[in-house]
Parts: sequence; structure tokens; C-alpha cells
Amino acid sequence: MTRAVIFPELLSGREDEDLAQPWIVREGSTNRGAASCDLAARILEVPLDLSEQARVVRAHELMHARVSPHAHHLERALDEVSPRALECAEELRVNTLLGRLDFDVSLLRDGTEKMGGRRLGEAGEWAEALCFMLAVLGTGAEKDYLAGIRLGCPSWLAPLRAVRKRALTVFAQSTHTLARTRFNDEGLPSGYACSTLVLARALSRAMEARVPMVADELRSFRRSLEPGGRRPATGKFAPLVFDESLARRSRPSAASVRVMRPSMTGVAMRYPGRFLTDEHRRAFAQRARRHGGIVVIDQSGSMDLDGESLRTLLRDAPAALVVGYSHRPGDRGATPNVWLLCDRGTVATTWPSGNVGNGVDGPVLHWAIAQRRANEPVVWVTDGQVTDSHDHPDEALTEECATLVRRHRIRLARDLTEATKTIQSNLSTPRSRLANFGRVGHCLLETGAMWSK
Amino acid sequence: MDADEIVGPCWRDFADVLAAGVSRVLLYGPPGTGKTFAALHHGCGSLPAERLVCTEDLTSGEITGTWMPAGAARFEWREGPAIRAWRGADGLGSRLVLDEVDRASGDALATLLAMTDSTASARWRNPETLEWVRPGPEFSVVMTSNIDDLDDVPRPLRDRFPVAIRVDRPHPAAVASLSGDLREPALAGSLGPEQRRVSLRCFYAFDQLRHHHGASRAAQLVFGSEAAQSVLDALAIGAVA
Repeated sequence: MTRAVIFPELLSGREDEDLAQPWIVREGSTNRGAASCDLAARILEVPLDLSEQARVVRAHELMHARVSPHAHHLERALDEVSPRALECAEELRVNTLLGRLDFDVSLLRDGTEKMGGRRLGEAGEWAEALCFMLAVLGTGAEKDYLAGIRLGCPSWLAPLRAVRKRALTVFAQSTHTLARTRFNDEGLPSGYACSTLVLARALSRAMEARVPMVADELRSFRRSLEPGGRRPATGKFAPLVFDESLARRSRPSAASVRVMRPSMTGVAMRYPGRFLTDEHRRAFAQRARRHGGIVVIDQSGSMDLDGESLRTLLRDAPAALVVGYSHRPGDRGATPNVWLLCDRGTVATTWPSGNVGNGVDGPVLHWAIAQRRANEPVVWVTDGQVTDSHDHPDEALTEECATLVRRHRIRLARDLTEATKTIQSNLSTPRSRLANFGRVGHCLLETGAMWSK
Repeated sequence: MDADEIVGPCWRDFADVLAAGVSRVLLYGPPGTGKTFAALHHGCGSLPAERLVCTEDLTSGEITGTWMPAGAARFEWREGPAIRAWRGADGLGSRLVLDEVDRASGDALATLLAMTDSTASARWRNPETLEWVRPGPEFSVVMTSNIDDLDDVPRPLRDRFPVAIRVDRPHPAAVASLSGDLREPALAGSLGPEQRRVSLRCFYAFDQLRHHHGASRAAQLVFGSEAAQSVLDALAIGAVA
């Protein structure tokens, strides 16, 4: 049986660091996922039958070999962009370029798209539904896929169309601009940077967004796709990423931590002079109680960590576990969003500043509760604002935090000075002060929790 | 891109070896990359190089010379290309190019061994004049072969050529006369495995034909009906920007 030949070595025009090297060609098929281009290993897996569809699939993979960036350029974007978004946005660039070279991209379909769309809709896999739509946009599979979505989850069609419109706008640039591989000022292939990366950023935000259900949400979602648009609300916290890089020293300097305390009773008279000078005659010594407890500090933009107050806190409660947190809105795990300032006696030598957003209020409270020993107090230094991973205030997340506060008797403090007093007392946050704690405080007041007067 | 990427490391190596005065070089690798052209023209000064294309039928006479009729009942000795290269102009010696050396038969190979021996050891006696001939000081030999594995070259012959360079792409100078859009593909056309190699000669023919008959017809004529569309697709995608 006659097989087609493919000539990847004849591809020319790359202006990046890609070197002319031989390729390994392996036989794949026209089924989705059965053809690929590995630029680093120079392996091309393509269908080798003589059908017109196989020819377009081969051209698709050749176009990847011609314009797609090397893996290390892709990796640079992964702190802000989902790999799947990047992959699918690149598929769209390749298909767009193929279409402009008059390849029949309507042949890029394998007949599974309608069922695939329906299943994604039924399973509620919004993020994948978005990505896959870009992967098939402009090809023969797009119509079938959207028909499947209509069957599985018709309410997704409007936001999907909004993303589609944005994608077509991004890719309306000239063929020369889209395909260019010369490095830009940031050292990225310029065609990729001005199209794939731009779209993947918007797509990554949209993937994490709560699916817009009403007109207002849809408008907000559309605005979020525009250049400079605010990230859409996600309605969920980001996962915790601990900063493991902080250097620590064993404890605060010994002079600042009081080990023994004068007492009126005892077995050894340590301070005889106090018989004369102390009106309570505390001439005996007693081991000072070392205050412990857990202090959770919101270091978002709305809060400010005062170094002197932190030192005071550590002096008065040297055995405390002090943790700061703040999430960079939209970050995908590259930037730590929680750090241990003091861990039962060891102290961080530097204190990170915040990352603008809250984003992890709930997870960090859960974590603090899990660290609690016996009945030690947990103090949350907060302004009462709770935000999602894109730094949008969220009612459900606020309620979640308020429930944690109520259920685990977490004490609230506006700042570290207040936290120092709070951790040493046995009192919960007075009800009269709850109004000072923003949405969380209001939520607690509304639920009529048991608070001391 | 640095100079190596433009010229290709193999051509850089070849130039360096010649510049250092090494007079025995083996160029091997896929066909159609301009090995023979380079051997004939690079580093051999103004004198034309002598060329021998080795086949199984090559005889010693075609290497060193043979008796030829010269009028009535008279023969004269006509020196072959190897001896002419030994002599060169004014006895200084010139370039001898041995093509497809791996195909030479046993007898011819023995003669080639003698002709390519070191300058100090090599000598040959003219049967007509009984003159002893030695290679001139500027005598050099470049062997070329389309083999991919050096083990295919007879061991004694290989030993006479300490420098072997694999040439996997044409010299940029060799593609200069092609149309601009074909130069880069032509440089990389010989990199793939045998069934995907497109030689420089094919590109020359394609370039010439497409000006008269269009790219599609030219590709059909040069690459064959099975590969024509694939070649055109690769060229179109390569030229996308």
C-alpha cells in the first residue's frame, strides 16, 4: 500500500534558536490526539495515508514544527497561564495559519466532537469545555462541538461565544505577525507572544471563573476577557503554597524572653531584695508561663504588617505559631501565598510582604485549626474581607470563614497589637467589636453567634 | 545565528582542515550536498583539480596512465589523473579528487593506496621514460563517498585519510543561485533519512521548471507524483511568514 511522505526537514523560516536537524517520523492517525509534534525530540507523529484529511493533519503538525515555540518558552508562562490553555490557544494559531494557506481545515474533525461536547457539559467541566472550543475553533469540528454543548449544558453557550469572539479578535492579526518566530524584547517568539500567549492568559482567567449565569455576570465575564480587564470572580479559594525559602533562627534573643517570674510562693528564694522593695513580697521565682497560640495574619494590600508589633508579639508569646498569608490574584502556584513567621520558637529572619490579594483565607484558617494544640487560642488578624483566588469578595467564602470563626472560636484582631493582647487573654472577640471586622463581622452578627458582651 | 549555523559545522571543519595544510581529507555523507564540488574547488588554488570517479570497472591504467597508439606502429605513454595531480604545474603538485572511492575494485584500490600514500613514501616510475615521479609539495587528495558509515571504506585507505568529515548539508555558496525561497529548504533538504532527502540538484531543477510550468507541475516532474504535494506543502508552510 502506498504511503505518503512528509518532508519536515524542508521547513524553513524559523528565526528563533531552532536548529536545522533531521526529524523522526512515526505513523499516527487522523483521530484526535493521534498526531503530534515534539519539537525538542524532533519526532513527528502523523497519519501517512493518502486521504485529504490525513494531508491536512500532516500540515497541521508541520505548522507546529514551523511556528510553535520550544518547551522552555512555554514553561516561562506557566505561573500565570494554564498549560491546557496554552496548548489549545496554540492549536488555534496553527489552525488559523493553515486556513490562511488555503488548507481545508474543515477536514480537521474525527466525529467525536459532538459527543465530547455533550459529555463535558453534563460533567460540568467548564475549563475543559472552554479550552476544547479554542482547539476546534474554525475547523470542521466546531459546529458539532457547540451542538454537543447545547445538549449538555446550554447555559454555557453565551460565555463560550464571548470567548470565541475574543479569540477571533486576537487572531485577526496579519499572517506574518502570527507566524513570526523572531524573539521580542522579552526573549519570546513574537508571533506566539502576541497571539497564543495573550489568548491563553484570557482563557486561563476564564477557566477559573465561575460560570456566568445571569446577565450581569455575563457582562462582567465579557469585560474580563478584554485587554486590561479585571479577572472574573472564581468563587473559590486558591490552594495554599507555603514559602519554604525563608531563613529562620532558633528563637528570639534570650534577653527578650522572660524564663522565670517573681512569685509570692516557691521553694527557692531567688529575689530576697523584693522583701523590701516589692509590696507583694514576691521573693520566690516561678517558671514563667510561655504563651503559645496560633496567629494568622492577613498580609493583603489592605493590611500592613508592623515589624515592631510582631516583635512584641513574639516576645510575649514566644511559643506561638505565627503565619502570614496573601495570594497574588490569578497566580497558579508559582508564588507562595502563606509563610511561617514564627514556628513554636523558631523565627523567620525576613518577613515577606504581601501579594496584594487575600485569596486563601479559608484554607489558611483550616490549616491553622489543624495545627492547634489542646485548647490554645487561634487569633485571626484581619479586616474582615474575604476574597476568592482572583481577589473578588465572595459571599459564600465569607460565610465559610465566619463559620470557621464561630465553630472553632477563632478570635479576631484588627492588628498585631490587638492580637498580642488577645492571645494572652482568655476572652473571645466581644460582640460589640464584631462590626469592626467587615463582611466577616457582619456575617457573624447576622448569625447571632455566642459571643461575650 | 553564528557562522556555524549559517555555513554548517561540516563546511567550517573542511575549511579549517584545508587552512591547516592537511592534504588528505575524506568527505562522506548523503548525496547531493556538494562534496565533489567542494573537493574540486575549495583550497586548490588556481590549478584545476584532477578527478577520478571510482567504479568496479576502474583499472590501474585509468589512475596512473596507459600506453596509447601514437601514429604508425608506435605507442606513447599517456599519464593518468593521479600522476598529473602529483606533478601539477612545475612539479608542485595539485588536487586529486577521488569520487565514490568505496566502489573501487581490488586492483584499482591497490593502485590508489600507492597514489595516496604519504609524500615521503609515494613514488612511481614512468614506463616510457623510466623517470621516477614523486608527489609535488602541494599535492593533496580529497576522497568523497556517499556512505553513511566509515567502516565501509577499506581500512588501509581509511588509514591514509586521518581526517574524515561527514557532510550533511550543502554549502551555502552552492544554493546562492537558487531563488530566495528555496535556499533554506535546499540547505536542509539532505538532513533527513534517505527516503526524505531532496538533493541540491532536485532543487535546481525544480526552481528552473517552476518558472516555466508552475510549482505544481515542476514538483510533479522533479519529485514524482507521490511526493510532489508533500514537498509543496512543506515549502508553503515554511514560507508562511
